[in-house]
Amino acid sequence: MTGLRLFISSAVFAVAIATAYWSIAHEIVGTFLLAFMAFALTFVAGYMIVAEREADLAGDLTDARVADAAGELVGTYSTRSPLPLWTALAITCVGLGLVVSPAVAALGVIAVLVLGAFFIVQSR
Amino acid sequence: MSAAERGALEPVQRNDLLGWLTTTDHKRIGILYLTTSLGYFLVAGALAIVIRTQLARPDNTVVGAHAFAQLFTLHGTAMIFLFVAPFALGLANFLIPLQIGAPDMAFPRLNATSYWLFLFGGLVIFAGAASSEGAAATGWTAYAPLSVLKEGTGLGQDLWIVGVFLVSVATILTSINFVTTVFIYRAPGMTMWRIPVFTWEMVATSLLIFMAFPALAADLLLLFVDRNLGGHAFDPNAGGSALLWQHLFWFFGHPEVYVMILPYFGVISEIIPVFSRKPIFGYSGLVLSAFAIAGLSMGVWAHHMFTTGAVNNPFFSFVSFLIAVPTGVKFFNWIATMWRGSISFATPMLFSIGFLLNFLLGGVTGVMVASPPIDFQAQDSYFVVAHMHYVLGGGSLFAIFAALFFWWPKMFGVKLGEGLGKLCFWLLFVGFNVTFFPMHFMGLDGMPRRVFTYANLGQLPLLNLIATAGSYVMLAGVIAFAANVIVSTRKREPVGPDPWGANSLEWWTSSPPPEHNFHSLPPIRSERPVFDAKHPDVAARTPR
Repeated sequence: MTGLRLFISSAVFAVAIATAYWSIAHEIVGTFLLAFMAFALTFVAGYMIVAEREADLAGDLTDARVADAAGELVGTYSTRSPLPLWTALAITCVGLGLVVSPAVAALGVIAVLVLGAFFIVQSR
Repeated sequence: MSAAERGALEPVQRNDLLGWLTTTDHKRIGILYLTTSLGYFLVAGALAIVIRTQLARPDNTVVGAHAFAQLFTLHGTAMIFLFVAPFALGLANFLIPLQIGAPDMAFPRLNATSYWLFLFGGLVIFAGAASSEGAAATGWTAYAPLSVLKEGTGLGQDLWIVGVFLVSVATILTSINFVTTVFIYRAPGMTMWRIPVFTWEMVATSLLIFMAFPALAADLLLLFVDRNLGGHAFDPNAGGSALLWQHLFWFFGHPEVYVMILPYFGVISEIIPVFSRKPIFGYSGLVLSAFAIAGLSMGVWAHHMFTTGAVNNPFFSFVSFLIAVPTGVKFFNWIATMWRGSISFATPMLFSIGFLLNFLLGGVTGVMVASPPIDFQAQDSYFVVAHMHYVLGGGSLFAIFAALFFWWPKMFGVKLGEGLGKLCFWLLFVGFNVTFFPMHFMGLDGMPRRVFTYANLGQLPLLNLIATAGSYVMLAGVIAFAANVIVSTRKREPVGPDPWGANSLEWWTSSPPPEHNFHSLPPIRSERPVFDAKHPDVAARTPR
């Protein structure tokens, strides 16, 4: 609940400051930025309201014990994967290619798509 | 599930180069972030030494005007985008799962991708130096319309745009990871109001990153389009606006200052109670003030634009003054924590006190330049250079060293030496103040920032010479730190899980921690679970 409250109060604050700024300054760029920020925070808060309905976190219980979070062991975190390094390289190629050579950018885009597919397959 | 089956599921971490290149373990990614950002710090520091050497005397000829512009651009870019902010991300990567009792980050592969994007982004920025026209030379702020011009800002400026864009994407992805991890992956009993202050400060920082960095990314895209695809977003002659760059840039840029300082408020809030042998004073006040600072910092961007005459100065001045209130709350809390404490002056505590003194001066001059009449005098002068460095150098840098000395045993299983540590502190503290304090007077005497030479008038030659001497003392401090690392690594005297007698959960597990962080967890009933477990009699008497 604290996380949700955090985003709701941030969204309320953003609406307030956007309104105050427009009323005082009548300046369009800053007002748009603040209004967009308010919209984004409201969106996240809305998502969290939906998500928290299904959440049941032992971390939120004041007197929980470690055993309270125990359940069936379904696997462990992987501590290595080659995908992040290659994905970052591919994204860098896209950026560099935009500056130095469209061919490099195209190669980067293809690599990003292929690696993205690997990510999706691995995540299933 | 049998022990054998469970053993088959246990991942095995490789210790060779391939293991580091493919790691998704938050601790290793944290260490990669920290070492990479320290590497960029060394490069940026070397550039600063060249800058100060050039300015040691009037009409010096160590470097020319264009080379000087590249030097201060790369220095500022590296310090801000590649060192101070990413160091905090590295520290948070290492600490957040340990402090909340989680086995890893919520998205380990995204975490690793963020790190590599940060590394490559930094390399792309520096790659501009190898181009025929040299690196970007428009300052870390890259103001339009100067940065739009192709003449004199060729490939290096484009690479700067791409590099900073990659770093900003990496930062946004990392902050998503932090918030998700803290919200979802807390250990049983670790409620939000029990998480350590450092983790809270990283939540506030992540929120700021969500709100501020997209504006930077949009700004960079517009600049790229203007430079390479015939756009006119910043061209007043074609219906654009040069001020649009400043609005978008500072909408990111001022919150970025707090992205670079809030995590270090968290560091100080972790260290001071440990070396004062007291619980932190005003836990909720510290947490709420972090969010007050974060919120207010989104409404002050145009105090960097007072002198344009195109913004509402009273609004931005008022909100800027307001930030002093939650910052003052934090100072009050830190001082109250130390008050009547049993203070020991180990190296992390010395750096923390250095942080308080330097940051206070940076904060006071910050309030001064938040006042438009003073800002009109100080704008673009060395007074602003002094103010900025007292906040980010005297503040963040000292907290960074405090963090290194404090958490080094947890990361590597050995303590850094106290003798060399104290030498490092005094060299940095004296060197820092000798370098940057005179800059206030240079600015008041009218010396503009970003000039590669200056007239032989009044106090300026003497003040510049003093500042340059101070920068070499700081260099000696950094060398003392490097020597400390080498000596401590060679000595290799292992430490236990909790060499400082600390409070938060990372000090429960071994140093360095095992692959998935914890073999066991203590009951978590306050924000000091390790202290509670070791001193149950005191914990029982403490009101909750």
